[in-house]
Amino acid sequence: MGLVESGKLPKPLTTLLNLSRRYSLWCYQWGLACCAIEMGAAFAGPRYDVMRLGVIPLPASPRQADLVVISGTVTDKMAVSIKRLYEQMPDPKYVISMGSCTNCGGPYWDSYSVTKGVDQIVPVDVYVPGCPPRPEALLEGIVLLQQKIRHEDPAARWRGDPIVVQ
Amino acid sequence: MSETTVNDDAATEDPGTSESDAPADGLREGLLATFTGSLGEAVLGSHISAGHELWVRVDRAAWVDAAELAKTKLGCTFFDFLSAIDWMPSPWGRYEDALLDNADTNGAVASNGKSGGIPHVDPATIKPGVTGGDTRFQVMCRLADVRSARSVVLKADLPDDDLRIASLVRLYAGANWHERECWEMFGITFDGHPGLRHLYLPGAFEGHPLRKDFPLLARLVKPWPGIVDVEPMPDDPAAEAEGEATAEVEQAAAEGHAETDTDPQATAESAETAAEIEAGDS
Repeated sequence: MGLVESGKLPKPLTTLLNLSRRYSLWCYQWGLACCAIEMGAAFAGPRYDVMRLGVIPLPASPRQADLVVISGTVTDKMAVSIKRLYEQMPDPKYVISMGSCTNCGGPYWDSYSVTKGVDQIVPVDVYVPGCPPRPEALLEGIVLLQQKIRHEDPAARWRGDPIVVQ
Repeated sequence: MSETTVNDDAATEDPGTSESDAPADGLREGLLATFTGSLGEAVLGSHISAGHELWVRVDRAAWVDAAELAKTKLGCTFFDFLSAIDWMPSPWGRYEDALLDNADTNGAVASNGKSGGIPHVDPATIKPGVTGGDTRFQVMCRLADVRSARSVVLKADLPDDDLRIASLVRLYAGANWHERECWEMFGITFDGHPGLRHLYLPGAFEGHPLRKDFPLLARLVKPWPGIVDVEPMPDDPAAEAEGEATAEVEQAAAEGHAETDTDPQATAESAETAAEIEAGDS
């Protein structure tokens, strides 16, 4: 692991690592509102079947997740939990913001209680627009994320301290 | 027995012919009589929507007594909800039609909030609901007997300088969270409540968001954008005339709009951008 974090990984190994990472994304579902229904259709339903893209939508905990899909209305009260969820995920970690509410507040842009964009709290990799987006849109968002991972320098994604198992 | 029936018929026919307020509702008039009989002067107002609902406005001091009466004598053991009403017209205008509301319509000072501070509202413009009322804030709760489908809505006025009322938690355990919500949303204190803490709002939240004078800061910074989305339906001359007027306002308000109209390529591009899923970098 030290080699990856150092940024001195040989290029063929980087390619291989990125290939493996992008086709085994463990995805945590963070459904907050109606977008979660569409996310459920994309992730749990046989019609869209996200597992054919190599995404495993069933981690038991954020500590096992590479990716979190935040879908629905983020309120200021929920924002604390989202920050905590993100901090629990191991590096490298990715965030997909799904739906207008999560992207920018959406129809609740003027509300006293809604956070106007989850990117105020955690860095977002892919924004999926729509109110709500269709499941296909979320799948396209995942494909875009995979394209992003493909050309990525893994060392750049390690932000925090290395994980130490005691 | 037959006499009573005849009388009832007469009673139900009379309002229909004379165009009185509402048809008679013997059940709810009986419920109201129970309240006036027990509470006497404390019943300040009432309203019956025949076949639908009974509203009773009681004095603040008799709030718990009225609820207890409903629970014990009328069998209304089901606590439906408790909330409050702020009868003051919004000092900010209607927001959605902010351009219209720059005119002084309901006594509020003409302002869309950009001048700073909360616009003053003349207290004389406060109109209470069907049971009447003297103050800006009213607490209301609905109690029901689910078996006989009998129910009553209790209301009480709260003076502006003393927003307090007795808690109903001892009578109805279900009132607990309703009163907590009412406390944080309207700033009304419930005496005797076991724990008035924030329920929905984050702990550090300042202000009471369901009050009419609570400013929605996002709207003060940026006016309601929905007004530029109004487009006339094709083949509708009235709507088209309106649409022209709206278009003029739009052009005055947003300069970029005219450019978009003259440049179809830009329109296509912006549509494409909107449809695309964009990958942001972190």
